[in-house]
Amino acid sequence: MRGNKLTRATQEPAWVRYTLLTVGLGFLFFFLGLPLVAVFVEALAQGLPIYLEALKESETRSAIWLTIVIALAVLPFNILFGVAAAWAIAKFEFKGKSLLITLIDLPFAVSPVVAGLIFILMFGSQGYFGEWLAAKDVKIIFAVPGMILATLFITFPFIARELIPLMQSQGKDEEEAAISLGASGWQMFWRVTLPNIKWGLLYGVILSNARAMGEFGAVSVVSGHIRGETNTLPLHVEILYNEYNAIGAFAAASVLALLALVTLVAKTIVEWRMKAETDMLNAELPGEKTS
Amino acid sequence: MSIEIRNISKRFGNFVALDNINLDIPTGELVALLGPSGCGKTTLLRIIAGMETADQGEILFSGAEATHLHARERNVGFVFQHYALFRHMTVFENVAFGLRVKPRKERPSDAEIKRRVMELLGLVQLDWLADRYPSQLSGGQRQRIALARALAVEPKVLLLDEPFGALDTKVRKELRRWLRRLHDDMHISSVFVTHDQEEALEVADRVVVMNHGKIEQIGSPDEVYSSPASPFVYQFLGNVNVFHSRVQGGYAEVECREKPERATAFVRPHDIDITHSIAEGSLEATVQHVHPIGPVVRIELLHGRVIVEVELSRERHEALQLVVGQQVWFRPRQLRVFGADNQPAAASEKQAFLF
Repeated sequence: MRGNKLTRATQEPAWVRYTLLTVGLGFLFFFLGLPLVAVFVEALAQGLPIYLEALKESETRSAIWLTIVIALAVLPFNILFGVAAAWAIAKFEFKGKSLLITLIDLPFAVSPVVAGLIFILMFGSQGYFGEWLAAKDVKIIFAVPGMILATLFITFPFIARELIPLMQSQGKDEEEAAISLGASGWQMFWRVTLPNIKWGLLYGVILSNARAMGEFGAVSVVSGHIRGETNTLPLHVEILYNEYNAIGAFAAASVLALLALVTLVAKTIVEWRMKAETDMLNAELPGEKTS
Repeated sequence: MSIEIRNISKRFGNFVALDNINLDIPTGELVALLGPSGCGKTTLLRIIAGMETADQGEILFSGAEATHLHARERNVGFVFQHYALFRHMTVFENVAFGLRVKPRKERPSDAEIKRRVMELLGLVQLDWLADRYPSQLSGGQRQRIALARALAVEPKVLLLDEPFGALDTKVRKELRRWLRRLHDDMHISSVFVTHDQEEALEVADRVVVMNHGKIEQIGSPDEVYSSPASPFVYQFLGNVNVFHSRVQGGYAEVECREKPERATAFVRPHDIDITHSIAEGSLEATVQHVHPIGPVVRIELLHGRVIVEVELSRERHEALQLVVGQQVWFRPRQLRVFGADNQPAAASEKQAFLF
């Protein structure tokens, strides 16, 4: 009896609970669930064969391919920069550290279109390095290198942001222990640091990869929209849609949606692994047994 | 291997962590760096290990300059306060680490590594835990694994940072004794940092008492305890009654000099005797509290407005039969007076009777 009353005392009335649930789930359905379903429904509106046909179109295929190429090209730089920046910030004290942390967040704060324009300003034909590049016959703007640069700018904070708090919480004791045991810098990194941050790193990679594949604004500015050459999937979706090719647009969009779903699953698995690992590390100590 | 520390200074911003430290640690000695937190003891240990660089001064290992040697070249075993075991490696791999990262020419074979690691795990009596992960061990077990790991590379010097700080009292006592034995068996020089005076006095051959980045006293455990060189050492090592005295006038007067001058007398609680009748050089007081604590009985006396702590053996207390509120006389058997300049003043035997 008393227990029952206590429970009731700490609970909201039924109507409050159901209202909150309805509002929350309703919002999720209309803004996340429905659009996702709509993409696939529209893409498959005229049947699977037509859908597959739309995907087989050479321009769509090259857009998918370019999206993957850019994501893969950006990845090693992001890993390198992310680990290096997180390492510097988490394990060393230096002047301008807070400035560096702020700079890392810059791409989050700047509009992607502005980011794209910066590259035009630097490497475009009227830009600072424009003439020099033209003389050397190097194409950056309206070509794949420019798109890689723009994507890099947009995605570089993800890994560093993920690793900084993780590495800060781990401290540098283990690294110092490795050095005092005679390990070289590389041995310390590969045998001690990397295994400790691997799940956080993977998480950051997944996030930055998702962003790299989905980026529209910055890439749109530098791409020039040359069909079959500098069109990534998001750009291609827009072009097809503007041409009233609904099936083609939604078919391409469905590929992006699928990529998002895969990312979501991968992210969940990694999150789950990270949690399992932290739980294990924080496990309660068994009783002292010394003899 | 002997360690010589010459004129070492270190600052962090405006904070002076170490101020011109000089210290010799002969081969085979077990030395404790003792002091309150922030006194620079851990910084000194890290400078010896090469994990921190001194602003000034030099470190010599066996007489040879080692100030500029990298931490990995110093052949020093370091045991961290929070163990710093590699969390993703098994106990076996933790201990094997130092052997596995050796350059290929010096690296022992896998079979040899296995033999050495199991031998070390046997030494710390934890060979049955070889396949566990650090998170599955208790604090005391982690500490011993950390020691085994440090010993695997056969260091000439073992440095331990608050080795027993995070353990409970019983485990701490066992590990202390065990560390002492281990040190004697291995024939190496060991330095450990602690803020626990009991630990330092019990384990070490020599105690270095530090405060505010300076060495206050270096001596055997007996020396630092029974003849402290400064008021700080007196107060840091064990309980002490402090009598702020003027050389003339007032109670607890210390009349060892002619000119009236500020002075402070230090008396250990167990160096005070209580009697029922007045005796030469004794002071009057009332009994405030009687606490039997284990083998001793702690008595609080009120002398004027000053509380005086006295420790009596149980036998002595039985004989005296003290009751709260009782009028008694107390007399320090031994005391030490420091002048205003914190320098010991005059001979102490004399002062004892000049209250």
